[in-house]
Amino acid sequence: MEDHINIKKGKSANRPAAPTQEELVRSHKKDTMISLGVFFVVTIASFFFNELASDPMLNIAMLYTLGVFIITRYTSGYIYGLMFAVFSVLSVNFFFTYPYQDFNFSLEGYQVTFLGMFIIGILTSTMSSNMKEQSRKLLEQEKALAEQEKALMEAEKEKMRANLLRAVSHDLRTPLTGIIGNSSTYLEMEHRLSNGEKRALMEYINNDANWLLNMVENLLSVTRIDNDTASVSKSLEPVDEVVAAAVIQFKKRFPEAEVHVTVPESEPDDVMMVMMDAMLIQQVILNILQNAQLHSGSTKPLELTIDEDEDNVMVSIRDYGVGIDGDRINDIFNGAGFKKGESYTDGYKGMGIGLSICKTIIMAHNGQISARNCEEGAEFSFSLPKEIEE
Amino acid sequence: MYQKLSVLIIEDEKSISDFISKTLSSNDYRIVTAANGKDGMALITSSLPDLVLLDLGLPDMDGVEIIKKTRKWSSMPIIVISARTQEKEKVIALDAGADDYITKPFGTNELLARIRTAIRHNNKIVSDGTNSNRPYSAGKLVIDFEKRRVILDGKEIHLTRVEYKIVSLLAKNSGKVMTYDTLIDQVWGPYADDNNRILRVNMANIRRKIEANPGEPEYIFTELGVGYRMLEDEGLAGGY
Repeated sequence: MEDHINIKKGKSANRPAAPTQEELVRSHKKDTMISLGVFFVVTIASFFFNELASDPMLNIAMLYTLGVFIITRYTSGYIYGLMFAVFSVLSVNFFFTYPYQDFNFSLEGYQVTFLGMFIIGILTSTMSSNMKEQSRKLLEQEKALAEQEKALMEAEKEKMRANLLRAVSHDLRTPLTGIIGNSSTYLEMEHRLSNGEKRALMEYINNDANWLLNMVENLLSVTRIDNDTASVSKSLEPVDEVVAAAVIQFKKRFPEAEVHVTVPESEPDDVMMVMMDAMLIQQVILNILQNAQLHSGSTKPLELTIDEDEDNVMVSIRDYGVGIDGDRINDIFNGAGFKKGESYTDGYKGMGIGLSICKTIIMAHNGQISARNCEEGAEFSFSLPKEIEE
Repeated sequence: MYQKLSVLIIEDEKSISDFISKTLSSNDYRIVTAANGKDGMALITSSLPDLVLLDLGLPDMDGVEIIKKTRKWSSMPIIVISARTQEKEKVIALDAGADDYITKPFGTNELLARIRTAIRHNNKIVSDGTNSNRPYSAGKLVIDFEKRRVILDGKEIHLTRVEYKIVSLLAKNSGKVMTYDTLIDQVWGPYADDNNRILRVNMANIRRKIEANPGEPEYIFTELGVGYRMLEDEGLAGGY
């Protein structure tokens, strides 16, 4: 939270750069030109009406009022509108009321007209400049809000990155320690070890190395996500093919594991295709399957179900194991599979990286991912939006 | 005299090269190794191996260049070694003429199986005509190329013309991966749309017809981002 406030402050400091003296002069020059131009045009037009119309006063008053509107609309502040109102009253008096070409404020009834025009002029100019001010403020507020949102997203991304890094360094060190320890035991004590012991050491090394590989592949897969836009290059892929590929990959690592796949019945030629990066979605399915295999503590077959509704395709993976810890379930996708100070009770094979990468991948696909406890075991599901191919 | 099959390993990482050498020599192959592309190229022409294992990331040249140069004069099987996440690289290598690829890291069994498949296919090309129309059979699936019939578990499966074309192509190249582009070229011709959607849709329909559960295929496997691979023909797997 601290971060994002700082980011916001930093941004707002250099936002509305104060106009320089030069810019001010230029903008005043422009506004003066506009005002003079409008005044000129309106006066000419008034002469025209004065000659033609039978009751010119009404038209002329309207013309000058229109002039006030135009000027307030296209100049900054309300000073120009006000000036124009004053000048219009004067010029009407001077040009279009008896005595022509002279000022006379004593004419009967005209004081009211002049006063009315003056007030209309002042009101419109102040009102419209108020409105302009307000809409400018609104725009600014919107901008600030968008910026705040961006900063929040930035902070979220940063948090995920930090969590990932923390989990990675932890998760890398542990299997490496195992590999180094076991292999040096073998090298140093080769003659004193029985064949069974040697084999056990090798098995540990093999296991740890596989675990490392799995993690490196997960991390590599994240590099396929565009850093700036958090998007992936998608193409239309049949969902069942991707699921099948993931299951085969999974069985390569756990030959004894069983997965039951359920695909919804559908018409021929109606193939469930979704825009995605197939390698990444395969990684997501693989991670969830491995997670279930390693942490559910059950050897019952896993169930993978594909389903769809109007807008989404859903994949859920169900295990029949111990379920997810109540206080972990909300944080399970945030790379915070373990808390500070808490030691790994189930060895280093924490859920940290795999599931947080699942979330990153699914978010980049504009999908949803969730985990919940069932009566027996847990269920992880994700959905991908059905998009039209670009 | 019994002649050992020779394999040339072109790989710059010594530990990987050593591990492959040990595995293969203990399985009765004769091994030649090269640690860079230049030596590899020279050994391909001078020692004429029965098969080449080629790592794509060589220090001195792009492995794809070696494939292209070799394909100008030889059909010797080339298996590419590549990392899992680089599916584009695999497609380029396969389209350049590589026979197959194996994904790092791989187990011994997988490596040996790929090598056997590639050598067998090469023999088949050489002795083409004698057995090219021999039916495909694996598991409960039989494909009779002469009568254009697909039989699963004793029952005939009805495929559309295009579906049969795809299945027979995969079956004739069973055990090997076929890229999307190769399949599209051979089924719809070289002027077909680049979009592989039509292939994927046909494939989904084929799977529904011949796989008991499309989510757990037994016969046709997807190599994501690359293409399809059909279960190795058991008739072929029997021997050389």
